[in-house]
Amino acid sequence: METVTTMRFDDPQLITFLSGADAAELDQLEFGVIGFDAETLVCVYNAYESRCAALAPSRVLAQPLFTMVAPCMNNFMVAHRFEETQASGESLDEIIDYVLTLRMRPAKVKLRLLARPNVTLRYVLVQRAI
Amino acid sequence: MTALTVNLESEFEALVQFLYLAPVGLAQVDRDGEILMINPLSAQLLMPLARDANLTNLFVVLESVLPDLRHMATDFAMPHGKVCDGVRIQLNAGGRSKRDPQVLSLTLLKLDADRMMAVLNDISEQVKREAQLRHNEMWFDAILTGVSDYALVCLDHQGRVVEWNSGIGRVTGFERDAVVGQPFSVFYPGGSITPDRVSDRLREADDSGWSLDDGWRARADGSRFWGSGMLAILPERLTGFPASGGAALDENSIYCLIIRDITEKRDASERQRKLTSCDHLTGVANRRVFFEVTDLEIERWKRSPRLLSMIVIDADLFKTINDQYGHAAGDVVLRDLAEVMMQVFRPIDTVARIGGEEFAILLPSTSLVQAHAAAERLRAAVEARRVEVEGIRIAYTISGGVASMEDATGGLDAWMKRADRALYAAKAAGRNRIEASGPLYACVMTA
Repeated sequence: METVTTMRFDDPQLITFLSGADAAELDQLEFGVIGFDAETLVCVYNAYESRCAALAPSRVLAQPLFTMVAPCMNNFMVAHRFEETQASGESLDEIIDYVLTLRMRPAKVKLRLLARPNVTLRYVLVQRAI
Repeated sequence: MTALTVNLESEFEALVQFLYLAPVGLAQVDRDGEILMINPLSAQLLMPLARDANLTNLFVVLESVLPDLRHMATDFAMPHGKVCDGVRIQLNAGGRSKRDPQVLSLTLLKLDADRMMAVLNDISEQVKREAQLRHNEMWFDAILTGVSDYALVCLDHQGRVVEWNSGIGRVTGFERDAVVGQPFSVFYPGGSITPDRVSDRLREADDSGWSLDDGWRARADGSRFWGSGMLAILPERLTGFPASGGAALDENSIYCLIIRDITEKRDASERQRKLTSCDHLTGVANRRVFFEVTDLEIERWKRSPRLLSMIVIDADLFKTINDQYGHAAGDVVLRDLAEVMMQVFRPIDTVARIGGEEFAILLPSTSLVQAHAAAERLRAAVEARRVEVEGIRIAYTISGGVASMEDATGGLDAWMKRADRALYAAKAAGRNRIEASGPLYACVMTA
C-alpha cells in the first residue's frame, strides 16, 4: 500500500507498477489512469479519472478509447503516437501538455503516454496542471 | 429523495456523455471569446491551432486563421442572432497530409450580451467532394459549350452510337439515320478499323477508364480529317449503380466518345511522330514501333483470342542488286518496295522495316489464308514492277513467310520465328515465293 501512495505521475517505473496493480491499488492513485488494449478498448479506468470526467467506469469500460470515450485525444498528438508505436513495436513514454474537456470545462492537464512492447495494455495518464 | 438523487446523478452522467460523444464541436464563450464550456470534438478540432495547448479563448485560438472573428462578434449589434453562419476556415497547420487541406466550418450564435455558442465541424471531406464536382463541371463545360470542333458521341456496350446530336453533324457531316445504331467505326475511313479493334477500344476503356486514339477520320462526304479521339467509360451504369471495373460486355455500360478535329495541329505532331516512329529511308514504321504494336496486339489476343497474322518479307538477292547497281539503287528498290506495301496493305496493318532489306507486316483480324493471299498480291505486284535508276530499269522480287498467332506462349519471339522459318522455306524453294507456317501448310513444313 505504501508503494501506491508514493507512486508518482512521472515515476520512470510506472508502467511496471500499473501492469501489476489491481483495481483497488489503481483507485488510490492521485492521477487519472486509462488503460486500453491493442484494439484500443478501455480495460482500466480508475477512480480519479472517473471523478474528473463525471463518468462511471461502467459507461467507459470495453469502449474504444479514441472514438467513444475520449474523441478529443483522437489526433496526431495522442492517438497517432500510439498507432506509430504499435506499428514500429517500440516503447512510448512521453509527457505532453494538453487540454481536456472534463465536464465540458477546458482543463489544462499533463498527459503521459505509455506503451511498451512486452506490456499488454497501453496507458494514458492524466494529471491536472498545478 | 435518495432515489431522486441517484436518478439525477445518472441523468447528469448520461448528459455529460452525450456531450462528450457529440459528433459536432460545441463551445460556449463569453463576449471576449473566453471559453466557458467546450466539448471534446471542439477541443480536438481546435487543439492543433492552440499555442502551448492554450485552449482558453476561441478568438485567440482562431486568430491565425480567422482574424476577423473578434471584430465580427463585437460589431454584431443585434441582442441575439447569428454572428456568422458556416464560415469556412482553411487550416494550414495540423497533422494531416498536406495534400488534403483541413477545412472547418464555424457558426457563431449570440445568445445574449455575455454568451455566444460556437458550432464547429470538420468539412474537409465535403470540401474535397465539392472541388471534385467543380472539376467535373469544368470538364463538361469545356466539352459541351462554346466549341465548334468537338463531337460528343454516346455509345452503348458494343460501341454503337446511341443518339445523334448537332455536334456529330457539325464535325462529321453525318445525319442521324446514318450513325444511330452503327458502331463508332462509321467515323473511320475504310480499312482503318475492324470490329475486333472496336471491342479492344471498349475493353481498354473498361480497364483504364479511357482509351485515346489519334488518326484519320471520315466525314459523311468521304473526305478525311485528322481526329483526336478519347473514349471513356461513364462511371455510372444506366441503373445508377457504380460499374464494376473491367466487367466485359456489361450490357449497362455506357461510353462517351469525344472526337476532335485537329487537322490543323496534325502537321506538327505528324512531323514529330515520323521522327520517332518511322524508318528514315522508306517512311514505313521502324523496328521499335513494330515490336510495340505487336506486343500490344498479343496482349489483346491473350484477353480475347482472335485472328491475327504476321508476314515477314525479304528482298531477294538484295546484295547482288547493291553490288551490281550501287547502294543508291538498293535504296530506291527499298523505297519502291515500301510504296507497294503501303498500297497493298490496309491502314490498320502495321508495315515496318525491321532489318536491312527485311520488312514485317502485322495484320489484325486476318487469318493465315487471308494474310497469305495479301502477301501473294504483294509478291505479284513487285514481280511486275521495274524501278528506274539512272536510266536503267531494274527488276526485283521478294520472298515472304506468313504465320498466324495461335499460342501466346513464347510471345513475339516464338511467333516471329515461325514466320522466319516460313520465309527460309520460301527462299530455299527458289525465292519469289510466299510460304506459310500453320495447319494448311503443315505437310509442306514437316516434309
